[in-house]
Amino acid sequence: MELQIPVFQWFAKASTAFIKNHGGNAAPANVGFPLHRFLLANAFPLTMSMLGVGLATIGLLLIGRFSPANLVPIVYLIPVIVAATRWGTSAAIAAAITSAAAADFFFYPPFYSFRLDDPRAIVDLLLFLVVALVSGELASRLRSETESLRQREQELQHLYEFSRRLATCFTVSDLISAIQNHLSGTLGRPTAFFFATPDKNFQPEPAGAVPLMVQERAASMTKKIGLGADTIRDEATESVWLLRSVTSDDTTHGVIAVHIGSDSRAVIDASTRRIEAILAEASLTLQRLDIGGAMEEAALRLKDQLLRDAFHGNLSHELRSPLAAIRGSASVLESMPSVRNDNQAYSLVEAVTDEVERLDGFIGNLLNATRVSASDVRPHLKCADPRDIVNAAIRRRSRQLAAHDVRIRFDDDLPMINVDSALVEEACGQLLENAAKYSPSGSTILVNTRAAWGRLILSISDQGVGITPDERQQLGRRSFRSLRHQASVPGSGLGFWIASTFIKASEGSIEIVSGGQGQGTTASIILPEAQIEEDQSAGPADE
Amino acid sequence: MSKSTNLVLLIDDEPKIRRFLRAGFELHGGFTVHEAEDAAAGLRAATFNAPDLVILDLALPDRRGTEVLELIRSWSNVPIIVLSVEANEEEKVRLLEAGADDYVVKPFGIAELIARSQAALRRYFKSPNENPVVVAGPLSIDLVNRTVLLSNNQIKLTRKQYRLLHVLASHVGLVVTHDKLLEEIWTSSVRKNIQYLRILVRDLRQIIEADPNHPRLLITESGVGYRLQSRFEDVSAGSSVMRLD
Repeated sequence: MELQIPVFQWFAKASTAFIKNHGGNAAPANVGFPLHRFLLANAFPLTMSMLGVGLATIGLLLIGRFSPANLVPIVYLIPVIVAATRWGTSAAIAAAITSAAAADFFFYPPFYSFRLDDPRAIVDLLLFLVVALVSGELASRLRSETESLRQREQELQHLYEFSRRLATCFTVSDLISAIQNHLSGTLGRPTAFFFATPDKNFQPEPAGAVPLMVQERAASMTKKIGLGADTIRDEATESVWLLRSVTSDDTTHGVIAVHIGSDSRAVIDASTRRIEAILAEASLTLQRLDIGGAMEEAALRLKDQLLRDAFHGNLSHELRSPLAAIRGSASVLESMPSVRNDNQAYSLVEAVTDEVERLDGFIGNLLNATRVSASDVRPHLKCADPRDIVNAAIRRRSRQLAAHDVRIRFDDDLPMINVDSALVEEACGQLLENAAKYSPSGSTILVNTRAAWGRLILSISDQGVGITPDERQQLGRRSFRSLRHQASVPGSGLGFWIASTFIKASEGSIEIVSGGQGQGTTASIILPEAQIEEDQSAGPADE
Repeated sequence: MSKSTNLVLLIDDEPKIRRFLRAGFELHGGFTVHEAEDAAAGLRAATFNAPDLVILDLALPDRRGTEVLELIRSWSNVPIIVLSVEANEEEKVRLLEAGADDYVVKPFGIAELIARSQAALRRYFKSPNENPVVVAGPLSIDLVNRTVLLSNNQIKLTRKQYRLLHVLASHVGLVVTHDKLLEEIWTSSVRKNIQYLRILVRDLRQIIEADPNHPRLLITESGVGYRLQSRFEDVSAGSSVMRLD
């Protein structure tokens, strides 16, 4: 038959399109492959299309041959369109040809024969074939477009989830497992990600799922720039690994290794091509999300965390235990009558107590600073009376404030505030300490607490050295200490930084006002008022 | 206190801390001291020596201090004061809820610990037929007749104000947690609302404190609860430098 040749070419073309849309679960078929191979691969859709045509034929036979002749082509269009929307072009073509043949056999005279006597019937059938093929093609194109849209949407969703996961990764190994999950999800294959550490080594795979050979190859790839991709066949298990490095500009961030499997050559070739395409996309994704930066940050965070744990766990205990013994012993000495009655001895013991408290305050500052460095000051917000906070802060710093005239003023009807009182108390204490440090003994420090515009303003004013515009700019930096005072006033430069971080965590702000050098300074903590729930029936003031 | 001398059990692994605690308690008078250097020895002594007071360090080599606290609490009501390096508020609340009578954060002065110890002992040995009047500075609270005198003048309180003062007075000198106070004063529906407690405390301070802005009787323990001070010196010791506006 002359018709067969173009149709076969159609089939071949359709089959490649089909593979592209349908992905790896379909067996590969190249142009020029034997027909039976294609039929084998598409057995299910083809059979289903035939079945559809059969059903249409039975339906038409049941209605009987008395039905109008122009009903036949319309009914046969149904299985063609169904096949096109469900299984694509090839199934639609198969359905169209079978339909034409069935119509010829059953419904065009002479019946039960493929012969056609009437020229009008020939035109009829040819017209039907053209219409069926065109509408089938249109329907299948619609289907593939919907399909690719859905896939795109899924990819976007994946990407979104991936970037969200990246943001929550705390350590490098978290990050690597996130990348592996993402890659395995999009590729549908077991995937490993080798992260290149700054010393040009790579993070070893702990699970042992990756053969040594692949690991070694990945290691050598992380060291050399420009070695983009490689394929390794593991002789022992006959399985193939595809490697691709993730690079940006001049650094290699890592190597992705995908386990393709141990199928036949042709299957491997097809999946390799598909995975290559996705890998190119994946490494672009990783670059776009600045995986290098995330890696560095995660490593830094880990280091920070270790340091902080060490300090919080052991070091603070080790430092504070001897301090506790010194402080306690001094307090016992202080209460002994023989020391109490001896002014000289008494003042010495007092000095010991003072210095221990200073040291303890310093350790407390370091602890606070490590909390802040790890940037996880998690405030526990609770309703608090601002007077309690101010009084506690002043009481805690009474030793540092001893040489100053501290005046405390509270507005009547101060609102409650919703804060972590420990954080605000510490911040207030730091500002008080600074006020005392940078103003002459005997001068006044005014602590004024008032409410205005739905906010609580807690200001600490001193009559001290003031702040120059230059110093102001540097104020929020950790460990900043003005050159003017470095020699004369002891300190770590952590105080203001801790205060501003703690207040920020409490959703407030600190304002510094100074007339300039020698004009004194006013530091104000500004906090939002708590919203009072008015519930008179259950309120505290009843009865 | 009903006894002439009270037996104090010190459970702390640091010999230098035990040494000054022993010296402090013995110097103060009215205490005999028994030392234990780890949790095992401490639990043994708590069982066989029947101490009147336990001073428990939380960082012990063989067992966590909180476990020791819970174990002793499972069969004894003996007053326990906890020593801790951790100034974390949740930790303090957890300890108090686990049955500690009070806590002291290291480093501390002996006077503070002895004041807490005496308050805990007073509460422990209080018998029903003893004088039911609690004195706190110029305030005296008759827990049976429900009358409150401020500098010998009877004052009038609302029912909730009195309830708050009553709970604090029955733990005079000791810290009482927010949750405990809320539970004692309000019905379950508003029990979690600390705001009511803050306002009630503010109102009560207006009545009983000489200067409500600088309370010396009803003391806030930041993030933990409140304490009714039994003596003025305890408060003013650290803040004698303050000159008020």
